[in-house]
Amino acid sequence: MRIGVYVCHCGGNISEVVDIKEVVSFAGKLPDVVVARDNEHMCSEIGQQMVINNISEHKLDGVVIAACSPQFHEETFRQVVSKAGLNPYMFEMANIREHCSWVHASEPKIATEKAKELVAMAVAKLKLNEPLVKKSISLGNRVLIIGGGIAGIQAALDLADSGFHVYLVEKEPSIGGHMAQLSRTFPTEDCSACILAPKMADVAAHPNITLYAYSEVKNVRGYLGNYEVTIVKKPRYVNMDKCIACGICAEKCPVKVIDVNDFEAGLIPRKAIYIPHEFAVPHKYVIDEKNCLYFTKGVCRVCEKFCPHKAIEFDQKSVEETLKVDTIIVATGYEIFDARKKEMYGYGRFENVLTALQMERIIVNIVKGNPPRDIGKRIAFIQCVGSRDEQIDRLNCSRVCCMYAIKLSQLLKRMNPEREVCVFYIDIRAYGKGFEEYYLRAQETGVRFIRGRVAEIYEKPDKKLVLRVEDTLTGDPYEMEFDTVELSVGMVPGEGTNKVAELLKIPKSPDGFLQEAHPKFRPVDTLTDGIFICGCAQGPKDIPDTVAQASAAAARAIRLMNKKKYEIEPTKAMVIENLCDGCGICVEHCAAGAIEISGGVAKVIEALCRGCGRCVAYCPREAIVVRHYTPSQILAEIEAALSNKQKGESRVLVFADYTCTYRLADSVGTSRMPYTASARIIRVPSGALVTPQLMLKAFELGADAILIGECEQKSSPFLNSVECISDNVERVRKVLKEKGIEPERVKYAEFVTVMLSRFVKEVNSLSELTSRLGEIPAEKRKALSTAKA
Amino acid sequence: MKYSFFLGCIAPLRYPGLEAATRLLFKELGIELLDLKGASCCPAPGVFGSFDLWNWLLVAARNLSIAEEQNVDAMVICNGCYATLQEAYHLLGKPERLEAVNKVLSQIGRNYQRRTGVKHVVEVLMQKEVWDKILSLKKRPLGGLKIAVHYGCHYLKPSKVRGHESPETPYHIDNMVKDLGAEPVEYVDKLMCCGAGGGVRSGNSDEARQFTLTKIENARKAGADLIVHPCAFCHFQLDTGQQELLDQGLLKEPLPVILITQLIGLALGMKPEALGLNLNKIPHNYLSRL
Amino acid sequence: MKTLYACIQCGTCSGSCPAGRYTNLRTRLIVRNIQLGLRENVLGSDDLWACTTCYTCQERCPRNIMITDIVRVARNIAFEEGHAKKPHLYVAHMFINTGHSIKFADEHRKLRESVNVSSVPPTVLSYPEAMEEISKLTELSGFKKKVLEREG
Repeated sequence: MRIGVYVCHCGGNISEVVDIKEVVSFAGKLPDVVVARDNEHMCSEIGQQMVINNISEHKLDGVVIAACSPQFHEETFRQVVSKAGLNPYMFEMANIREHCSWVHASEPKIATEKAKELVAMAVAKLKLNEPLVKKSISLGNRVLIIGGGIAGIQAALDLADSGFHVYLVEKEPSIGGHMAQLSRTFPTEDCSACILAPKMADVAAHPNITLYAYSEVKNVRGYLGNYEVTIVKKPRYVNMDKCIACGICAEKCPVKVIDVNDFEAGLIPRKAIYIPHEFAVPHKYVIDEKNCLYFTKGVCRVCEKFCPHKAIEFDQKSVEETLKVDTIIVATGYEIFDARKKEMYGYGRFENVLTALQMERIIVNIVKGNPPRDIGKRIAFIQCVGSRDEQIDRLNCSRVCCMYAIKLSQLLKRMNPEREVCVFYIDIRAYGKGFEEYYLRAQETGVRFIRGRVAEIYEKPDKKLVLRVEDTLTGDPYEMEFDTVELSVGMVPGEGTNKVAELLKIPKSPDGFLQEAHPKFRPVDTLTDGIFICGCAQGPKDIPDTVAQASAAAARAIRLMNKKKYEIEPTKAMVIENLCDGCGICVEHCAAGAIEISGGVAKVIEALCRGCGRCVAYCPREAIVVRHYTPSQILAEIEAALSNKQKGESRVLVFADYTCTYRLADSVGTSRMPYTASARIIRVPSGALVTPQLMLKAFELGADAILIGECEQKSSPFLNSVECISDNVERVRKVLKEKGIEPERVKYAEFVTVMLSRFVKEVNSLSELTSRLGEIPAEKRKALSTAKA
Repeated sequence: MKYSFFLGCIAPLRYPGLEAATRLLFKELGIELLDLKGASCCPAPGVFGSFDLWNWLLVAARNLSIAEEQNVDAMVICNGCYATLQEAYHLLGKPERLEAVNKVLSQIGRNYQRRTGVKHVVEVLMQKEVWDKILSLKKRPLGGLKIAVHYGCHYLKPSKVRGHESPETPYHIDNMVKDLGAEPVEYVDKLMCCGAGGGVRSGNSDEARQFTLTKIENARKAGADLIVHPCAFCHFQLDTGQQELLDQGLLKEPLPVILITQLIGLALGMKPEALGLNLNKIPHNYLSRL
Repeated sequence: MKTLYACIQCGTCSGSCPAGRYTNLRTRLIVRNIQLGLRENVLGSDDLWACTTCYTCQERCPRNIMITDIVRVARNIAFEEGHAKKPHLYVAHMFINTGHSIKFADEHRKLRESVNVSSVPPTVLSYPEAMEEISKLTELSGFKKKVLEREG
């Protein structure tokens, strides 16, 4: 191989500490290095041109730049070497600024030695690099949206208007979701149905939207640009083309159904053949087979007899359809908390205890002049039912209940000022635009706010309800009587969300909702490119936030698909087929679902693979590697880091994941925070790639301690990598112990990029540990050569 | 089936009818009750637990160790005894704690390994084969009797340690009442404490009686003829407490109280005197209707 | 045990507390005072002894704080620091001396005989060696000393 090494002065940033000449001369003597040069600024045009010229003059097939962090100029120099006709992966950087001159400024001699070693490490790795090519996937314009509530509707319309084709799947007979059920929206008090209905109609009419109502996603296979989705269309038993929604069928149907999951929340009965509500989309009837007499008892069929359009089809079966889509948006929404679980409030036992959703429907129907029940004069609202409550494992705040209670309570009070309306709360969270003002309006309307979480309710023989509660601001316990009690129920992830999470391998946060890729910068992405989330499936939120997220998800999907193609980083897992016996352990450990067994060996779906290396750590036959970070490449760096170790010196190998720890180490350098010069930082995508075997080898070859730094799991691009690292470290510790070597010489730590002093502390404490413990005796190191973790 | 009968204090020393009825019933059912020889006070969870938890745990472990020697679970007829022994069993699940306790117990020649624990009499009776047998032995119809069930506190709570049924809507004793042919009645504050626990009866008997008064009045309002419960200590408070309330002129119409084993005894046709019902301060005036 | 610093002062405990209906006991304030380190407000107050340990508060606490158990621990400290009530010391004495928490006299023996159970129950009352064990145990635990000190 013919390698060129270029050492940068960085305008003194490096050269004032490191003896550049010495490094250049050292590099020039390394095997395979045919040219070694230096320059004041390698990133300058002159520096770049020198590299380009040298590549052709000296017929170089690999380049090492010893300069700043690859964070800043790796991309620059990859382009430089490409320009000269080299593969961009035939290039390495040695970080002798952030990881050397800036942190060892007071020890120029040692810094120079370390810089030499960093160059040697880069050269050693480069020798094993292979030209890699980015594959690309072509992307079409088809999007699957799961869930037809306001989130799915908004995302669908944004995408459809932008020229993409949307398949919108909704499990209920009509789209609209919970928003369709609400009376008014806070804090502006728009009529919820009135603002939603036009959007629903737009969905039905849009040429770019194919609506699958009363349908569910059964299976999803493939990846970005190549998803194959199986949809099950449930039988409506009504011919969609023939039904004109005249309603004669329901008029004649003898079965009355009361179901709290209905549009009217169980307050108004419907028939077994029904249309969910007056602005349902699609506007077609459906037979509820759980209650229809024909399906339950084999009799009746009255609807069929009376339908003037012969639209009833009792012999319909569910139909499966397969779609091909490029991206997927999950908008599966929420379910309301099952209030029966808070037994002390008696929901389901006391007839005058209602959920918020029922109160919404009562208000809508009162306005329509059709009150479904008498709610009386004294009405209580109980907040935080199913939220902020560890007794039922729901610690999170549901974010909307304070505001909807403020809305419902003042609507009730305004409708009839003689009503006594009390809201019992722990904290009022009126954080949004116009929210505090709306809270004030409720107070001025005469709603009473009492700070105390209601302890229990008992029902009197006349069905009135007595609440027991302490007014925590006066410290007095009260018993107060009400006609109706509304429970401000929180939001919980629905069954649909759980199912989709499983199908698409979307992780969940501790609250059970779907986990976004990054809580700040990628709020609607998932860790799988091509799959997005929005609305309450991601966590409780109100309508404006839901709509904003839905539009964001649409925009993120458009951002991908507009490029028409998607380039896959080549640094993904690769199976060495002649070593693989198809045991499937990698499949089991792959959190991304990117490996499958086919033809007796493992196959990597590169579009899904994230390159974390869990599979590498667990493969019993060393038959899988991550390209550009193979065990032999990492080992080459380790060897180079240790080969020049002098007697009395020690080496702390720091494996730094490139998302957090490596950048953190860069920041430590930028802040000129000194730490032990015995540290050698080796960049890896994830610490999971540092297999137990590699760690043992490092100890055998002279390492005194190993630190694996990994991105704190919640900001990591890799699922469960920490679990794998902890596993690896434990495996290594076990072997060290057996061989009489102190197991505390190896450890791992989770970092985020701002933990500067923590990083310094961790590295220094390992170095102190090694001087305390002393050198590992040669025979113990040797004994590791046969060890297996 | 065999248990070691842990008597506690109230049943043997104040209301021996509770002990007698339980012994008679178990004899009839063919379930052997061994004597838990040399047992002491459990010691009471709310009193001794409030004074010195370490001493409380040691004494409880000693009581448990006696049943363990006999290779059977202890059985209790008092929620207080149950709370102490069940909780001690639970706490001693932590090996360090068990070791520390045994270190002390060894100095009085005892040792406890958690091989056996404790069962509440309701748990024992609820077992399907036992309950079926009881129903097959029913002789005296209890029809027309309206019964308010008082569960007491420590049979159900803390539910995370007890793990039987919901502490807000328990129903097992109600179902027993129904099966025996009587009618369970719902009443306000059914799950409220009798008032005696936590050292309140000894330390502040007026407070305790206010609980009792509320309970009795609520059960009365719901039309109950008597109160059934699973606890000797509740029995003490609800019976003696009512007598005190009567003496103070605070209560007009008292309600007789009965332990679940006594009620079953009645249904099985046993004589009220044999069951010790006559030892109650509040007379069982409904008996004439049976 | 969930730390009581997780308490959000929602009032579920004191709203649930039956003792609070008849006394000034406010479990919420016991927790608050402990949070603030105001020892005497807790340990020196009679309210601490109004709790019947019914566990309703603990069952309902939305932060899973073991309130009743905390009350018991607070009482242990109060007992140690000399806040025990007379009747409670009497019960403690009774136990140390007899192994039971209540007295057993002739009248009670007669009650037993009337329902055909052994005139003395097969408890510590029938077994002097068991009483010795109890006596030794209360000594080893330090309880005996604690109680006798209070009495003196």
